[in-house]
Amino acid sequence: MSALSPVQRRDSRRKRIRQGFAYVILYVTAFLLAVPIIWVILSSFKAESEYVKYPPQVLPNPFVWDNYVHALTWIPFFQFAWNSTFLATVFSTLTVVTSAMVGFAFARLEAPGKGRLFGIVVSLLMVPAIVTIIPQFVLFARLHLTNTYWPWVLWGVSASPFHIFLFRQFFTGVPKELEDAAEVDGAGPFRIFWQIFLPNAQPALATSFILNFVGVWGDWLAPIIYLDVKKTTLAVKLATATYSNPGDPTSQILVTITLAAAVIYTIPPVVMFFLAQRNIMEGVVTTGLK
Amino acid sequence: MATTYSKTTLSANKPRRWFWQRTHTRRITRSIAFYAFISPWLIGFVLLGIIPLAVGILASFTNYDGINVETVKWLGSRNYSRVFNDSEAIYAFQRTLLWSALNVPIWLVVSFTLALILNQGIKARGFFRTLFYLPSIIPVVAVVWAWRLLLDPNNGVLNAIISIFRPGTAILWTTEYALPSLTAISVWKGAGVGMVIFLAGLQGIPRELEEAAVIDGATRLRVFLHVTIPLMTPVIFFQLILGIIGSLQQFDLPVLLAGGRIGSVPPRATYFYVVHTMQQIFTFSRFGYGLALMWLLFVVIVIFTVIVFRTSRYWVYYEVEAKGEGK
Repeated sequence: MSALSPVQRRDSRRKRIRQGFAYVILYVTAFLLAVPIIWVILSSFKAESEYVKYPPQVLPNPFVWDNYVHALTWIPFFQFAWNSTFLATVFSTLTVVTSAMVGFAFARLEAPGKGRLFGIVVSLLMVPAIVTIIPQFVLFARLHLTNTYWPWVLWGVSASPFHIFLFRQFFTGVPKELEDAAEVDGAGPFRIFWQIFLPNAQPALATSFILNFVGVWGDWLAPIIYLDVKKTTLAVKLATATYSNPGDPTSQILVTITLAAAVIYTIPPVVMFFLAQRNIMEGVVTTGLK
Repeated sequence: MATTYSKTTLSANKPRRWFWQRTHTRRITRSIAFYAFISPWLIGFVLLGIIPLAVGILASFTNYDGINVETVKWLGSRNYSRVFNDSEAIYAFQRTLLWSALNVPIWLVVSFTLALILNQGIKARGFFRTLFYLPSIIPVVAVVWAWRLLLDPNNGVLNAIISIFRPGTAILWTTEYALPSLTAISVWKGAGVGMVIFLAGLQGIPRELEEAAVIDGATRLRVFLHVTIPLMTPVIFFQLILGIIGSLQQFDLPVLLAGGRIGSVPPRATYFYVVHTMQQIFTFSRFGYGLALMWLLFVVIVIFTVIVFRTSRYWVYYEVEAKGEGK
């Protein structure tokens, strides 16, 4: 320390002040970002009578754990949760496999027209979703596929430009030697993909699966357009406050129970995010930056 | 390749043709493999992309109501000319432009600022990055519940806090001030994604460049304005385009906030263009007209994207100058 010149010491002091300032801003921002989340969790433990009180109390008194029990039992919660899970799993599994295949082809195979086709994939990244959703709905309605899960299957099979891009970036970085050795052994492109590239792509597969799963799990627009009340997902069900006491015909709509349900509904995507957050953010960056 | 070989060997043609055939068939099988691999996407692109879009364009010239095909009549360009006489559509479009002009810059500035702060050699960077990204993972339906609690005019947290300083405050956040409220929700949810991408961009800036500028006597502000910002323009450019495309088609936040049904009508302040479009389609069964509205929005989005692309040559810095000139 004593070896530092006065100028260096001044600079390091400035740096420390700057960093301290940065930490203050970061903690304040973190707190502001966390407030809505914390508040919804606290409110989900409040009694309805306490929830409507003004000014609002911060801590629930008493803690009403029953809100969570009612959230699961007063509506067929598990039926809707299953619908969400089924749709998200089917779609994500299909789209991860097909996107990986297409991404592999763009990264590792050669054919005339490849450049132009990849140009289409990239420009599709820019096409607003709203442009396709209604024409597709018109088509699916004509094919009598509304109120079925087939649209999700077909969307899944046809891969997604974003994830094709993600896999292409990932596979481009795999060393060529791996593939050469397999080619000498007489393996065709399909075997090379299936036995060498796919097993080595676990980070990309996990990222892609989770991003897709979280996307379908959270999607409200497609299920509300396509599915009726029985087949619909948690996202649609919880968009409105639908809970009232089934044992009491005069019961009002109870918001706090919907909040408890919303908290349960949020847990799966958040857990998935924490399991793979590093990979997810790297994936977002590779597709975001090009 | 094989030409030098042919001069020295008598039976030159044989191996040469064999070689050519081999590479040729290999090239064909490779091409077949490529197209087999991309076929799921290619078929899907035609069946779920091109065909619906073609049908959608055709239907936008008719009075299609979503159910009856027998009564479909060709209206020519009537749906399109009707948009310009639809005062609600024009109002909704103005609100959408206002919303985009509010949402996109604030989102860019907030996420860029967070990225800059996190790039100051912060030790707990991973922790903050994860925390800031978290809201984007939370499903939009749950996000809207959380914000309803904060913004509720009767028992909301925000009014309660303001009431400490100004007793009796009952600001109508979700109706009268719906536009700033919606911006707050949208920035809260989107800042983390923007920040992660900006942060990656900032980390791609070579340290030496900034350090060299400091040694040359540049102040921090000058380094930021003349080194950091120019090097970040490609990322800003990309984020700007995504932000505009996303904002112009905003639909689910106002509708969820207004009740969460497909027909829920948001307050006037956030009656956006796509909300109006969806109303026409799902509430009034005007599929033909709704599709015309949609296509006009698509044209507007394309125009905005082209403007940003065209002007990018004046403000986006590309490291390879020649490439920058061409773009």
